[in-house]
This record gives sequence, structure tokens and C-alpha cells, in this order.
Amino acid sequence: MHTIDDFVRLVRDELGMPLEEYQVAADLDQLPEWDSLYLLKLVTALEQATGRSLPVGRLLEARSLGEIYQLAAGT
Amino acid sequence: MQSEQPREQASSPPGPAATVSYLAAVGTALPGDPVDNATLARTLGVNEEWIDVFIGTRTRHFARDLETGEVRWSLADLCARAAEQALTASGLAPHEIDFVVMGTATPDHLMPATVNHVADQLGLDQIPTYQLQSGCAGAVQALQLGHTLVTGGGHKAGLVIGGDVCSKHLDLDRDLSAAAPSDLVNYVLFGDGAGAAVITSEPRGQRLALSGVLNRFTGLGREPGQVIDWFGLADRHDDRQAIREDYKAIEESVPVMAVEILWELLEDLDWTPEQVDFLLPPQLSGRMTRRIAEELGLPDAVEVSCVADTGNNGNALPFLQLEALLQKIGVGQRALAIAVESSKWIKSGFALEKI
Repeated sequence: MHTIDDFVRLVRDELGMPLEEYQVAADLDQLPEWDSLYLLKLVTALEQATGRSLPVGRLLEARSLGEIYQLAAGT
Repeated sequence: MQSEQPREQASSPPGPAATVSYLAAVGTALPGDPVDNATLARTLGVNEEWIDVFIGTRTRHFARDLETGEVRWSLADLCARAAEQALTASGLAPHEIDFVVMGTATPDHLMPATVNHVADQLGLDQIPTYQLQSGCAGAVQALQLGHTLVTGGGHKAGLVIGGDVCSKHLDLDRDLSAAAPSDLVNYVLFGDGAGAAVITSEPRGQRLALSGVLNRFTGLGREPGQVIDWFGLADRHDDRQAIREDYKAIEESVPVMAVEILWELLEDLDWTPEQVDFLLPPQLSGRMTRRIAEELGLPDAVEVSCVADTGNNGNALPFLQLEALLQKIGVGQRALAIAVESSKWIKSGFALEKI
């Protein structure tokens, strides 16, 4: 996973969430399907894609998928 | 008629009245060593910290070996071990057991009913046995039937058992990345175990008076919160989800139902909240149980919970809580237990007083 496009593709394919581009920056509360189980699925998919363990405690501070991407990508 | 039962019981004081039965002893069985979140997370390929934060359960036990997949204990094995422990602790002789009632959602076979294998392992014969197909309210339903049999059924003592082996669905070869959330959640919630109590018509052993039982179906017209499917020769290759959990509906409804059950029991028993010394709340997960116990808000009651250490093992849970309660409750003290079965939304609970 090198780019935000890779990330969006991963969310769509691995989570089965129909994600529009503009929703990447949207508050997580604005995503109709988003909940803690989708977070687990996303963390699992990201860990498989990056080969690194993710700090869930820090991810919980993220308010958007874009922020989760930044934490996962280490940027 | 069931909804009237607690009211009738509450109108009679505990003691010699025939509406009170007694728990003489409790036994439990948890298979193998506890499995911690690090081990479960590594086995399933999911994040350990997520389980800590969102499930809040620290350990659980599995009848199936996580390394090899080998089934080490059947449900009958676990239930028989728990029942034997309860029987020994009660001081009753096996020939004094007039019946066996058992609740489970995960029988070893559809036939014979697992309760009969349990009776066989215990060396019991020539007595009535009953098996209830039940989820989280199953232990309460089994207690209610046992209570009815010793208070009005002409019996003096029986075994009431609850147990589940959820690891039947713990498919270790499966890639969970494609699992639906309603499927995935089950992998981190559940565990295996069994519990049993000896119920008597007269005070024996621990002398724990069962002074009220609530057991009511409230799911008319409502979609199930949980479905466990089963498969036969004709449909075993269908691509159906074996377990489906509507965790959002459960998270929303169970705390509300638990509060309703609490107040209904208190009203029927004519107890005040201050008179409850111990509270046995619903055991969904470490996190949900903490939240529900807070919402129940009994001022002076000590919470007795087990799920954070045992995992959600369904029909076994109230017996595991009872075992912990017995270590704490003194003569004259009271306890209330609440269980909600979200499958088809069953309210249940019971009241105890040590005499």
C-alpha cells in the first residue's frame, strides 16, 4: 500500500464498504456503515498489507479514514 | 401464564411455601488452559489490542485445541464434569437425583440429546431427562423447569445443567479477512464451558433459596439478534453464514432489557434496590457487561461477573457466576441475576436468598 488510492481500493475490496473519494476526509460518524467491527477488518487488512502491527489506541484518535491512512502509512 | 409466575412467588414469603426451591450446590467445568488475547489474536490473524479495547474479555477456554484443531472434550464431557462436582458438593447421593434438565445451544448431536449422554456418564438411569434448545437465557429456563419439578412436580431433587461448546464454529483454517462483521465478531466473543446446580425442594447444602424466576419471550415480530444455523446432508455446502450476530441491535437493546428485567424482578419480589447485596448481570463480553452493570445502577450491590475471564460460554455463564457468588454470599443476603437472550429476545432472571 503506497498511495491513498491503494488505501481506498483496500477499503472497498477488503471491507466491502462502498467508499466515495470525498468520504476519505469525512468524519467517521458520517460514514453510514462504519463501526468498531469495520475498524477491526480495516486494521487486519492494513496489517496484512503493510506487514506491520498497528497501534489501535492511536487509531482510535483518528477522526477520518484519511487520518487512519496517515497513521498506517507512517506519514 | 409465565408472566404471572414471579408475581405469585413474590406474594409468598421465602421459607416453607412450596413456591421456593433451593440450590444445594454448584459445579463448573472450563476446558483446558485459559486462552489469552495474544494467543487468540495470533491464531486468528487479528489485532490483539482491538480485542482488549472493544471486547474487553481477557481469556476464554476452548474444548478444541487451538494448535491442532483436535476436539479434546465434548459438551457431554464438560457437563458431566460440572454436574459431578455439583453433586459431590451437595452431599446428596446419586440415587436422590430425580431428574436432569439441561440447556444448550450447541448439543453434541441432535439425537441423542446430550443430556442423556451426561446422565449416562453420571451413572444415572430410570429418571426423566429434559434438554432445552436455548441460548443465554437457557440456564434460567433450566432453573425454572427444575424449580417447577421440585415445587410442584412431586420431585425432591434434580440436576440443572447448562453448557456450550462454541468452538465447534472456530474454523482455524479460515481467512477472516473476508468475513462479514456479523460473522467476525463471534470469533472474539465466545468460549466453551459448562455449569450445574443441584436443586432441591427442601434446604440442603448451600441453602440458597430460589425465590423468583423470570423467563419470558418478548420477540414477537422482531428480527433475531443472533442466529446459529445448522446444516444437513442436503444443504451442508450452502454458502450460509453459520453464526450471525446483529451486534448493533444487541448493543442497543440488551442494556435496556436488562434494566427492565431488574425492575420487574424487584417489583414482583417486593424488594427495594438497596436490599440487593449481589448483582449477576448479563455476560456478553467484558466491555458490554461493565457498561450494563453501570446502567443497572444498584447502589449497594456487589457485581458478580465472569465473562472477562471465561469468554461468553452461553448456557454455562449463570452457573459460573453462581459459583463465584457462593464464595461471597452470607446468610440473609440476597442476589439478583439477569440474562438476556438476544436470539429471539428472551428476558430472564432469578432471585436468590441464602437462608
